[in-house]
Formats: sequence, C-alpha cells, structure tokens
Amino acid sequence: MSHNDCETPDCDDALANLYEYLDSEMEDAEASQIREHLDDCSGCHSRFDFETRLRIVVRERLSEEVPPEFIARLRSALERETSTNG
Amino acid sequence: MADQADFERDAMEYARQLYSAALRMTRNPSDAEDLVQETYLKAYRAYHTFEAGTNLKAWLYRILTNTYINKYRKESRRPSEVDLGSVEDLYLYRRIGSEESAEVSRTTEDRVLDGLVESDIKAAVESLPENFRLPVLLADLEGFSYKEIAEILDVPIGTVMSRLHRGRKAMQKVLWEYAKTRGLLPEGAEMP
Repeated sequence: MSHNDCETPDCDDALANLYEYLDSEMEDAEASQIREHLDDCSGCHSRFDFETRLRIVVRERLSEEVPPEFIARLRSALERETSTNG
Repeated sequence: MADQADFERDAMEYARQLYSAALRMTRNPSDAEDLVQETYLKAYRAYHTFEAGTNLKAWLYRILTNTYINKYRKESRRPSEVDLGSVEDLYLYRRIGSEESAEVSRTTEDRVLDGLVESDIKAAVESLPENFRLPVLLADLEGFSYKEIAEILDVPIGTVMSRLHRGRKAMQKVLWEYAKTRGLLPEGAEMP
C-alpha cells in the first residue's frame, strides 16, 4: 500500500520535518534518523518520494529561456554605465 | 571589497536565473527585463560595497527583490489577508492516492507529475500572494537556504519557514485543480 496510514510517533516526526529534510536544513544526526525511518516505512517513503519528484517538476518547469537579445541589451547598458563612470 | 571592473565578469552568469525569477515576480517579460536591468545597474554602482568572496548570487537577489518590492509591486506591503492556513499537509499526495494498490497510486502520481505543463506550474506560482510567492521562488526555483532567504527578504528565519510551508501547500491546491481540469485523475479521485 502506497498510501497506508502513517501513525507512529516516528512517522509524525518524519512528516513534521518533511520540508526541512528535503530542503537540507536539518542537522546530520536528525537527518539520518529520518533516513533510517524512511528505509523502514514505505508509507513515509512514498510521501517523501512524491514531494521530491514534485519539487523537481516545479523547478524544471519554472525555468525560462532568456531572450538572447536581452543579454546583449544588458551588456550594453552596463557598458554605458561603465563609460560614464569610468 | 570587490573591484567594479570585475563586475560584468562576476555577475553576468546569474542573469538568466535572475530573469526567470523576475518574470515570476512581475508576470510579464517587458517588466522582467526592466527589473533585471535596473538590478544590474544598481549592483554595478554598489559593487565596491560588496565584500569579495561572499555570496554574490544572494546579494544580487537581495537587490532584485528590493527593487521589485519598491517599484513594481502593485500589492500592498501588508501581510496577505488570503487565508492559506487551512490547506492540509501533503495536499496533492493525499488526493492522488488510491486505496486499492500502490501501483495504481504510482501510476496516477506519474500521470499528474508528467501532465502538469509549464503554464500550470507558472500560473500556480503566480497565483500565490506575494509574501508567499517570493520565498517559494527563492527556495524552489533558486535553491537558496532558509538563512539566505531570510537575509534576502529581511525577515526572520521562522517567518521564511512558515511562509514557505504555507505557500507550497497553497500551490499544491492550485495544481490539484489544474490536474482535475486536464483529466489527469482516475474516476472518483476528485473526492478525498
């Protein structure tokens, strides 16, 4: 069962810290406790895995191609600024 | 202190990333270009105050964010009155899940994650009130740490964490609506 109930205290701890864990904001000792729990608990593992995949999708699909002519305009604006100050 | 003559060499590599963030802030390409250009000119003029060897990317984002807040933002600076607190954790995951089997759940997860297109994700971010949109962009698009985001936005780390958390949940709620509209869900999955 991928969506089985996660109701143990370890599950509560892991899920309460889901974002801090995925954001790499936890102390090493705390993070390895969560990693151990995820190895043992398929329900939590499935939840963490989904959130991880979602954030990859979000990041990939938010990136923009910069119009090349904009970079050229930006460089010339900087050059104008440099020459007036230079 | 950094040498102004090195500015272009040091800073131009971030232009593409700043443009992506600026576009999600201003919501239109012309304002995004103006915002990034103004950011680079300000940064150039202030580059002698930048401490060489410290975090240039975060410094540029701080200028970008402040410029945006002061100039382009049409919303008020007051905290948003939109109630994002009522969205539950794991909003998408809970709704996608199948009671029957892990395989069905996994298939639906894949279909939702593959089927949400760029415009859905962008619209979901842009739908967030600004107090939530900026931390989500800085964390999820740019990968800044909580501490860096706190410095860029000039708010306490606890505020960053709570806005990130609520902003991400609110985004999942919007994404769920798009997934439904696009028919990415199995029969009966609409009812949690």
